[in-house]
Amino acid sequence: MIVSRNWIERYVGLDGIDDSAVERALTMVGFEVEGVTRKGLPPLENIVVGEVVSHGKHPNADRLSVCQVRVDGGDPRTIVCGAKNFADGDRVIVALPGAVLPGDFEIKVSKLRGVESQGMMCSERELGLGEDHAGIAVLTDRPEIGTSVNEVFDAGDTLFDIEITPNRPDALSHIGIARELAAWFKRDLVYPDIRVNLLAGPGGHLVESVVSETEENCPHYRGYSIRGVKIGPSPHWLKTALESIGLRPVNNVVDATNFVLHELGQPLHAFDVKKIRGDRIVVRQARKGERITTLDDKNRTLDSGMMVIADAERALVVAGVMGSVDAEVDDTTVDIFLESAYFNPSSVRRTARTLGLSTDSSYRFERGVDPKGAEYAALRCIDLIVELAGGEVLGPPLVAGEPPFIEREIELSPAWVRGRLGFDISDEGMAAHLGSLELDVRETTDGDDRPLLLVGVPSFRLDLYRPIDLVEEILRLHGTDKVPPAEVRTHGLLADDDPLVVFTRRAASLLIGRGYQEVAHYSLRDGAEVKKWYGHCAEDSLALTNPLASDASHLRPSLIPGLLDCFAFNQARLNPLAPVFETGRVFREYDGKVFEMLSIAFALPREGTEGWLRREPVDFHAVARVVRDIFLLAGVSVDPARFEPVSGDNAWQAGHAARFGGFKMGFEAAFGVLGLTMTSQWDLRTPVCAGALYFTPEYLKREPRRRRYQAFSAFPPATRDLALVVPVGTAAGHVRTELQRVARQAAKGTGIEVESVDVFDVYRGKGIPADAKSLAFSIVFRSPERTLTDKEVNPVFDAIQEKIVEGSGYSVRK
Amino acid sequence: MESDLKQILADVEEALPGLGSKAQFEQYKATVLGPNGKFTAVTKTIGKLPPAERPGAGKLINEYKNRLQARFDEALRRLDSAELAAKVGPSVDVTLPSPDYGPGGAHLVSEVREEICSILRKIGFVVADGPEAETEYYCFDALNTPKDHPARDLHDTYYIHPETRFGNVSRKGDERFLLRTHTSSVQIRTMLEQPPPLRIIAPGRCFRRDTADATHSANFHQIEALYVDKGVTVRDLKADLDYLFRSLLGPEAETRFRPHYFSYTEPSFEVDFRAGHLGKVGSEWMEIMGCGMVDPAVFAEVGYDPEVWTGYAFGLGIERIAMTLYGIDDIRYLYQNDFRFLRQFA
Repeated sequence: MIVSRNWIERYVGLDGIDDSAVERALTMVGFEVEGVTRKGLPPLENIVVGEVVSHGKHPNADRLSVCQVRVDGGDPRTIVCGAKNFADGDRVIVALPGAVLPGDFEIKVSKLRGVESQGMMCSERELGLGEDHAGIAVLTDRPEIGTSVNEVFDAGDTLFDIEITPNRPDALSHIGIARELAAWFKRDLVYPDIRVNLLAGPGGHLVESVVSETEENCPHYRGYSIRGVKIGPSPHWLKTALESIGLRPVNNVVDATNFVLHELGQPLHAFDVKKIRGDRIVVRQARKGERITTLDDKNRTLDSGMMVIADAERALVVAGVMGSVDAEVDDTTVDIFLESAYFNPSSVRRTARTLGLSTDSSYRFERGVDPKGAEYAALRCIDLIVELAGGEVLGPPLVAGEPPFIEREIELSPAWVRGRLGFDISDEGMAAHLGSLELDVRETTDGDDRPLLLVGVPSFRLDLYRPIDLVEEILRLHGTDKVPPAEVRTHGLLADDDPLVVFTRRAASLLIGRGYQEVAHYSLRDGAEVKKWYGHCAEDSLALTNPLASDASHLRPSLIPGLLDCFAFNQARLNPLAPVFETGRVFREYDGKVFEMLSIAFALPREGTEGWLRREPVDFHAVARVVRDIFLLAGVSVDPARFEPVSGDNAWQAGHAARFGGFKMGFEAAFGVLGLTMTSQWDLRTPVCAGALYFTPEYLKREPRRRRYQAFSAFPPATRDLALVVPVGTAAGHVRTELQRVARQAAKGTGIEVESVDVFDVYRGKGIPADAKSLAFSIVFRSPERTLTDKEVNPVFDAIQEKIVEGSGYSVRK
Repeated sequence: MESDLKQILADVEEALPGLGSKAQFEQYKATVLGPNGKFTAVTKTIGKLPPAERPGAGKLINEYKNRLQARFDEALRRLDSAELAAKVGPSVDVTLPSPDYGPGGAHLVSEVREEICSILRKIGFVVADGPEAETEYYCFDALNTPKDHPARDLHDTYYIHPETRFGNVSRKGDERFLLRTHTSSVQIRTMLEQPPPLRIIAPGRCFRRDTADATHSANFHQIEALYVDKGVTVRDLKADLDYLFRSLLGPEAETRFRPHYFSYTEPSFEVDFRAGHLGKVGSEWMEIMGCGMVDPAVFAEVGYDPEVWTGYAFGLGIERIAMTLYGIDDIRYLYQNDFRFLRQFA
């Protein structure tokens, strides 16, 4: 909101307070100043109107002239001038010695090329009036010689662009801001006097009745009848005031309503009585589809959620928002019906928003005008109309409803206030601060004889209804920058960081340690991309209702596309690719429900670096190792035998990628080589190896379990190697699991433990059928009690060899 | 005889440096000192000498034997160490650049988040966590946001498809799901779960429906702090923020409160900071964050007795802080992921 300093000074004197002090006051009282603009002429001394009596060439300079300029009854002064745009007899502005022009430029008697100049004739720019510097300012309306320049030009003004927080509708007016400044600077606030005496009028009304059919949305409506006005332009002071805050003057009546809106914050509406059809004003909800042409010349269709002010036939005003061209006050208007009302904020807000039409009026109604302010504002406006346009008010208004009841008195214990603040402000200080804001403070005591302030809250302060609200008022006026410094008061930490956060931190640090760079991408992705690569997440369930752009319309189900974006972006910028990772929330659907999960994903170019030494390309197992290590941090032990090869998923390359875990377990992962069609869609030159891990927050927040120590044998192991020829498509993990089971069974009851079964060689080729492969396992036996002998181990090993081939289709390779 | 021995020694001295392996060495050694070796042959001639010459000849042979042995030992040592050296290959040029990737690193937003968390941890705050997909209740209602507050608008807040059902984001009733606009929702979830006192920070990703520009981003990160205890005052809030900003910006940093409005705090403040030693950026008051004393209405909503418990809350934008600390002029760099940008802070 823009406020004018001159306008504010109608209500509070700010003598001796410069603009920067006002700016600081506004800021510290809670209205952030977003801009300060200085306009027009500041007060200037020794700058007066003069007349050029004669001028001639400067003896020593072609481009200068020597002028005789009269500035008073005495002899003309000699002034050297560089401009050419004047003639003898022109009235000009002369800065006399001792004058200080804007920019701290002091005028002195001085010699210019040997000729003494006793002053300076000024351009508009030199005076700070405008940008015109083509020549000196020539005053065509010929003011008296010797008149001070401040009498010739309008006084300057300073405009403050301030932010009014939504809790302070009372400050959406010049009087509101003046009130705050008066409180801050401890000066008096003067309200405009009301001169009109309604009872002195002839009585009667220009319309027969006013009815509110929608009392909830319009609890209070007043209409005043004013007869015989003469529409014309507004006087200079009113035009200047409105123009200073960016409004366009229209005519004296409309300008008066606008002035009062910005003076008191109460929107008013003036109807041309002759345009009102029928004889009554009705406040009602619009009919569905009802049409109106608002003053901005737009045809608008209304709905029943919108309130209108109507005559017998049609809507004349979108209540609280904007009038229509149908009842507009124009040059022919003679009789006026002046509306002043209290409208329900939500109703106006909804209407303004639905229509996409925010006006000075709707802005104030939707934030809440003073419920009791309608009458005073109307009377103030009537005074202005009568003063500016003549006419007479017939008498008391037509009234529908009553102002909402909002009397509030708050009991405030000064000790309680100090308890909230943590520092001292005296009882008297509190009372003074509150009083300066026009709150009605009475000092009393409570039942225990402790001091108590009874604080009456004026109707315009809709935001004050609890003691805590007054704490803020006291602190605001005390100065929020005066909260005294203090030591941090801290005590023991009895809680720990959330396990999800701790895990994320550890995973990030593991990946960083392995040379991965963390990246960050937006959570919102393109719906088409989601569907294409993560089709198993139903597209709709990840969709936003109101996306801003089609490429950011869906919640991300995976971090992988972001990582590919990173590679594509850096490839395009010719930055060598490097391993990256990201942690963040993703959204995945299971059984028709979306789950928010923590994901950790990493990616690296399969081909490795492009340096002077080429490394082997990254393979599946290198990726699997990273996945395993991250899982370990989450307390998940990973057995590759449980990896499932990925197939039929565009996002992963069949034969080179695996899955592990499952949603029901609380964690899952996919890893390996990304689908080559996918990486080529990102125009990447190298295949990409990646891993994506997902955890439900619930899983990570499970109670941690401390592991128990397990005793281990002091005796040496006995190892036996066994090569099995199996069908080529058989997963090694499966064979290993089988062999482990068989081995344990064979060792049962012998006192021998099967410690481990591991693959140490995979062979295809000579000596093995083409459709088979040889898997070599080493089986480690151990006893907790003794060194094992061949005699003990051999029978077990024999049994294993016998059992493993039974019905499995495997054979032992001799 | 001596001339023979001299010749053998000279031959050996000439031959040894040419031997490339231990096998060659042993082979050659046999031709000299072996049973059929040249030197052995000479020693055998001693028996044919007159007895008077034998002691002299014996002495001579011993002398040459020692000299030969020394030559052979030396050659063997040379071959041994060459064989060991062969295991690690030819020498390397230590000045070559690493053929592998550069070091990994954290993203600047993570870096700054962790820095702030660790500063606050020292004064007793622990990190709490909550969902990014939220509901209108936790994000607005419980925070005392008026029903028709503009922040709830479709224009300002992202809402999730009305048919979507969440498996692990709880709702109060059947209110709408949305993307949280601040991490204050974590405060509500935490207070509903835990009794006071508590001291938590909630760092995390937030979403506002803003068009991206140098200072706006579709998602950004916040850290919200909430401190609830008996007798928490405005002065504590100021003291803790002073500590935070001095820790972040250096001992000369100052903060200033300005009255402001947030629905969930009363009184509410905006915080400006100034840190002269940061140069031009730091010499003027700069708005950095919002804070205030928890509004009693919020306590009432989560079942804390506002007569017993007081508290403060503050929230700051991580990107904002990061940009201020590192002099970054466009928030979009933080999501563009240019390696040349990311590595500057790793």
